[in-house]
Amino acid sequence: MMRNNVLFDETLPKSRPEDEINLLVIVVDVNPIWWGQQAQRDPQFTLSKCMDAVMVMGNAHMAMARTNKLAVIASHCQGSHFLYPSKSWSGGDGGGNDASSSGDGKYELLSAANNLIAEEIRNIMSKIEVTGNSTDTLLAGSLAKALCYIHRLTKELEVGQEIKSRILVVKAAEDCALQYMNFMNVIFAAQKQNILIDACVLDSDSGLLQQACDITGGLYLKIPQKVALAQYLLWVFLPDSEQRSQLVLPPPAHVDYRAACFCHRNLIEIGYVCSVCLSIFCNFSPICTTCETAFKIQLPQIVKPKKKKLKQPM
Amino acid sequence: MGSAQGGRVRLTQSHSGRDTVPVQTEKMRHLYVVIDCSRSMEDQDLKPNRLTSTLKLMEAFVDEYFDQNPISQVGIITTKNKRAEKLTDLAGNPKKHITALMKAVDTVCVGEPSLYNSLNLAIQTLKHMPGHTSREILIILSSLTTCDPANIYELIKTLKSLKVRVSVIGLSAEVRVCTVLTRETGGSYHVILDESHFKELLMLHIKPPPASSSSECSLIRMGFPQHTIASVTDQDAKPSFSMSHLDSSSGPGLSLGGYFCPQCHATYTELPVECKVCGLTLVSAPHLARSFHHLFPLQAFIESPVENLQGDRFCQACQAELKDKSVFSCPSCHSVFCVECDLFIHESLHCCPCCIYRQTAP
Repeated sequence: MMRNNVLFDETLPKSRPEDEINLLVIVVDVNPIWWGQQAQRDPQFTLSKCMDAVMVMGNAHMAMARTNKLAVIASHCQGSHFLYPSKSWSGGDGGGNDASSSGDGKYELLSAANNLIAEEIRNIMSKIEVTGNSTDTLLAGSLAKALCYIHRLTKELEVGQEIKSRILVVKAAEDCALQYMNFMNVIFAAQKQNILIDACVLDSDSGLLQQACDITGGLYLKIPQKVALAQYLLWVFLPDSEQRSQLVLPPPAHVDYRAACFCHRNLIEIGYVCSVCLSIFCNFSPICTTCETAFKIQLPQIVKPKKKKLKQPM
Repeated sequence: MGSAQGGRVRLTQSHSGRDTVPVQTEKMRHLYVVIDCSRSMEDQDLKPNRLTSTLKLMEAFVDEYFDQNPISQVGIITTKNKRAEKLTDLAGNPKKHITALMKAVDTVCVGEPSLYNSLNLAIQTLKHMPGHTSREILIILSSLTTCDPANIYELIKTLKSLKVRVSVIGLSAEVRVCTVLTRETGGSYHVILDESHFKELLMLHIKPPPASSSSECSLIRMGFPQHTIASVTDQDAKPSFSMSHLDSSSGPGLSLGGYFCPQCHATYTELPVECKVCGLTLVSAPHLARSFHHLFPLQAFIESPVENLQGDRFCQACQAELKDKSVFSCPSCHSVFCVECDLFIHESLHCCPCCIYRQTAP
């Protein structure tokens, strides 16, 4: 009689380490207006220093394991552009023989990546034309492209390979309120695919990114000193989600999930929600301003006094 | 590429009739699912048997339902032995339903189902629901008979007057009383062909139905509590009991942080929830935001052959080389996408990555 016929040993790891691909997508905010002002405020920390720190982070990630992959996207007010891997690069081991060999014996992949990133960012910054009304960085578009790229890589996996992805956002300029809905759509799509969104904020706090990190389970950090960007990136954002449970990391930020009313944009704790279009108002009004439906007003019920039947004298 | 083409065909079927004007859909839905647990559920035409297969699909259904309808509620009723009983009450928390469904795998399937009793049981709760919400019942019926204590056609008239929409998914064959029931109340009736068809039919009920003209529109008062995270070293941190323990069988949990109802300061650990102390519905702004993509659905992209494309042949979302026969372009921003990105954008993202850059006007 067979006892405990174990079909497979549960103690073995489910997949070999070579089969698990760790993908990191870095989205860098290269808003030319903010960086221009920053260069005047503090000449020690400019866009090139920031890109240096990002390259160090990218190299470190790729050096952690042979199967780690990297992608870098630059996000600005008019679009987002993939810095690495670039369309013009053939990719793989055979590309860029002449450009990639650096004199100091660095691993070719890393130096090829650095050169590519530097060249692409120079191209972008020289081609940007800033028009008057669009000055905010629209991160939602870059995050959407990052998700599409991750989705494509997930589909291109071979049998037996698994992929774990995360997105790191390096944010400089302020939030743009117009992209709230697109941002929320992107956050929910990332949460469904189990993709973490981490945020490294250089200047002003961003409510949208705080919500993104809270919902997807990533880390949010506002850096106290911009010049030490590389240090913060390596210490806080380099470990992946499994390793983070063993580390003491900055505590989660207090996220303000209160809604903003549509009439005054104040944050409210109790509000009225239209059942048709889900717009939020702070005061009761008979007509919804967004979808223009008239609401049924609940009137208190009038209780008619009961007429007492007089007993007929017998 | 076969699966991608199949997925593409499926998507065009759901896209047909999608116009740019958003259709008003029901946001707050109250749905009762009636699961037949009679003897016919032990049939093994669905592997391993009908009951196990149904319960497994129901778990996936509950998850997906709360994903698409975050401020709605679901309740589960089972019927067997000519009686009906509630497995779970109407609630907005998916975990409770999923635990109950997992435990229900062990139930013994015996006797005959009773359509009348299960509908009656559902009506007892649904008739008290406010007018601006939708009242729906979904029946998964496998038996070909039903044992009713009274005239079911009278009950159908009551359902119609209460504006309850009843839909049926049949596991065996078409039954006349179900046809009449669904036709009179405005629901749908389908009979499954196989397990994958069963899943498809179940998932059809996840999408919010279009709002009927008779549903009232009203302003619902809701609270948006803040999440406080306090640690033991905080001076003002006061531990409190979470009110959600009143429902669960586990003991009361003392916690420092949580969500505090803005009206009565009762503590809760998860949202959305209806405050048991003061009756205020508590949600967080992202929950409402999850429903926005139903309000503003993304337009279908235009398919065109790849040869017509000038310039670089790269998908603007994932940067892949365009090797398929046809490419898809967004009607507003004319960006070009590959077939995989088109599927992903319409099923998960619900927003075009390049259109965002055109919304610069306030």
